[in-house]
Amino acid sequence: MSSMLGQGPPEAVVETEWAEAERRRSLTWRQRLSRFDLKASPYLYISPFFIVFGIVGLFPLVYTLYVALHDWDLLSGKEAFVGFENFAWALGDQFFWNSIVNTVSIFLLSTIPQLIGALVIAALLDQQIRAKTTWRMGVLLPYVVTPVAVALIFSSVFRNAGDASLANNIVEALGFEPIEWKRERLPSHIAIATMVNWRWTGYNALILLSAMQAVPRDLYEAAAIDGAGAIKRFFSVTLPSIRPTLIFVVVTATVYGLQIFAEPRLYDVSNAGGIGGADRQFQTTVLYLWELAFFRRNSGRASAVAWLLFLLIISIGLINFVISKRLVAGEGENQLSRRERRALARAEKDRKAVAR
Amino acid sequence: MKWSRTRSAKFLAVGAAAALLLAACGGDNEEPGGGDDTSAPEQNDEPVTITITTFGTFGYEELYEEYMELHPNVTIEATNIDTGGNARTDTFTKIAAGSGLTDIVALEEGWLGAIMEVSDAFEDLRDYGIEDRASDWLDWKYQQATDPDGRVIGYGTDIGPEGICYRADLLREAGIGSTREEVAAALEGDWAHFFDVGRQYREATGKAWFDHSGFVWNGIVNQMEEGYYTADGELNVENNAELREAFDVLADAVADGLSAAQAAWDWNGGQSFVDGTFATFVCPGWMLGVIEGNAEAGAEAAGISLDDVEWDFADVFPGGAANWGGSFLAISATSQVKEQAAALADWLTQPEQQLKQFEAAGTFPSTIAAAQELAANPTPRPFFNDAPVGQILASRAEGVRAQFKGPDDSVIQENVFGPALQALDQGTADADAAWAQAIQLLNELVVNN
Repeated sequence: MSSMLGQGPPEAVVETEWAEAERRRSLTWRQRLSRFDLKASPYLYISPFFIVFGIVGLFPLVYTLYVALHDWDLLSGKEAFVGFENFAWALGDQFFWNSIVNTVSIFLLSTIPQLIGALVIAALLDQQIRAKTTWRMGVLLPYVVTPVAVALIFSSVFRNAGDASLANNIVEALGFEPIEWKRERLPSHIAIATMVNWRWTGYNALILLSAMQAVPRDLYEAAAIDGAGAIKRFFSVTLPSIRPTLIFVVVTATVYGLQIFAEPRLYDVSNAGGIGGADRQFQTTVLYLWELAFFRRNSGRASAVAWLLFLLIISIGLINFVISKRLVAGEGENQLSRRERRALARAEKDRKAVAR
Repeated sequence: MKWSRTRSAKFLAVGAAAALLLAACGGDNEEPGGGDDTSAPEQNDEPVTITITTFGTFGYEELYEEYMELHPNVTIEATNIDTGGNARTDTFTKIAAGSGLTDIVALEEGWLGAIMEVSDAFEDLRDYGIEDRASDWLDWKYQQATDPDGRVIGYGTDIGPEGICYRADLLREAGIGSTREEVAAALEGDWAHFFDVGRQYREATGKAWFDHSGFVWNGIVNQMEEGYYTADGELNVENNAELREAFDVLADAVADGLSAAQAAWDWNGGQSFVDGTFATFVCPGWMLGVIEGNAEAGAEAAGISLDDVEWDFADVFPGGAANWGGSFLAISATSQVKEQAAALADWLTQPEQQLKQFEAAGTFPSTIAAAQELAANPTPRPFFNDAPVGQILASRAEGVRAQFKGPDDSVIQENVFGPALQALDQGTADADAAWAQAIQLLNELVVNN
């Protein structure tokens, strides 16, 4: 018995604690439940995304960083911890910078025409036209085709001078010299950008169209009554109204545009090692990291390149975000420049000072 | 300032989207792999599913059917990958991931060197009695599948003895001769002689002799006693006088306009095989099907009748016997049905089955009995002027030796010499410049990798 007494707390204490707990339960159970519900439920509801993201997004990202910090052979695995050596190597490798130049060049050649084209198509589809659905479905059709099929078709559309190709037939019909579509740098970039544009313009046009449909029609009427022409209405009403969607489209186009892989990989079947043309004239960064990982079997360096590309995409994404915010000025304070706002503030202060 | 909250949400969304997309292209571990069927190996008539991965034209489809008829308890699930290059990526990725390999995996000679560094990803077939069959195969074929520790990891399927494919009509016009005997006699000799005949052809017709330098270079290098590596596995390119000398001979030929500077695996959509762009082609057995398919596609595109195009196959190869390609069947260490998989792979590589495979896909058998059978009973191949290709290949296989293939052999072939030879073909580099480019690439891609 004494041992049992020794184990338990003194009786009085037990009683007080029990009473306290009982009071709390009877008094606040519902409230506590409701408070818990209020605080925790939202997190519960959004958790599936974060759990899935953690498994298929965050984990590979972190693991890639782990691999990047090691000397890592694709087949035999981890060899030694090397710190940031792989990153230093990548930054010093001429082919890495070559791939960055190619990627950015193809990205610019694809994203800019693509967005302008998508805006124009969306604006046209936003008009009163016959067979609306047919047209709208029509612009989405290229998106249904996989990038691989697109690459295969376009790689026979664009061939070197001397070979039979649709692109050179057109060039020659226009009276120009045939172009070395696969050998020269700029033509090969244009050909690859064409594949990207062909596939994505219609898709982006539909997204922009859905945003345009949501613009209140009375804005257009008011603008028309004020004497604004169609073009003026487009720039002053449509563009500012679809700004958030435009930003979304710009950011997704950036993310895709900087990760182009299938198109350059399949554009030149002669170079199976993923070098993107004999002189690496159209090797994009993702293709370069593929070559590193799966052809040269250096997973460590490939992972370092993957991370550098990740950082590049985020920074270009942010720059685009800022630029597109600036380009298409929205409502409120954003319309005023910093200097104007400062001037206003100064004027306000002066007025107050005078009043005093 | 309510937007600050939405802005951070946007930042998060941008980051998340970017991360997701980037991650999506990073990992690629799908396919939980074959052998979930855990039937005990010793119970041989229990239902069992065996998975197998092959590539290119392997010619196994009918053999699978036959095997399943012979063994009603066996189900074969086959995957065929379009090219050897993609099969290489697939196999490497799955070895790296540690899972996903099918029970039987076809390995190609060109990247076997890299596999040998991780040969324990595959079973030692001596445990399944391959030693009893060792004498079935050409000795060097069996040796190729043996790793440095003496483990044997592959059942040999086919080999790639090389002959010369040629346009009989064009060679006749150029006065070189057109029958297989005439052409074989005219081309007998070393590579310099082969190119001299090419110069003669060029003189007569003004056209190129071979399609592009890459395949010719492969032929030359594969033929040497030692290629890019010494027999002890040391990289030996930069100061390899034999290699450099051969490179110069080839560069001279290219400078004289013998190369048509074609894009390999495209060949202007196959049209170059029918429009007379070039007259000869280095041909391992498996290449015959490639030429046939490309010529058909090209003839259709160019509007030329195949009746006006005469391809033939001569029993000759400059510089002697050479081998290009050939495959093995390996049993993955992660397989749950190793015993049954080994039985299937063993059956598939028996001489009788290799003969059926040759009939279906033109892959030349690696077993001695099957090769003898082809030599004894020639079957004409209509596309190649009814040439007895099996017999010719059997003759071309005589004297072929295995060359040691190092871990980076395919990298050197594709990414080091590939660009240099294309520069040569384009005329943008002479022999010295192209060689210097290759050495520089070698140092950047292989030595300092």
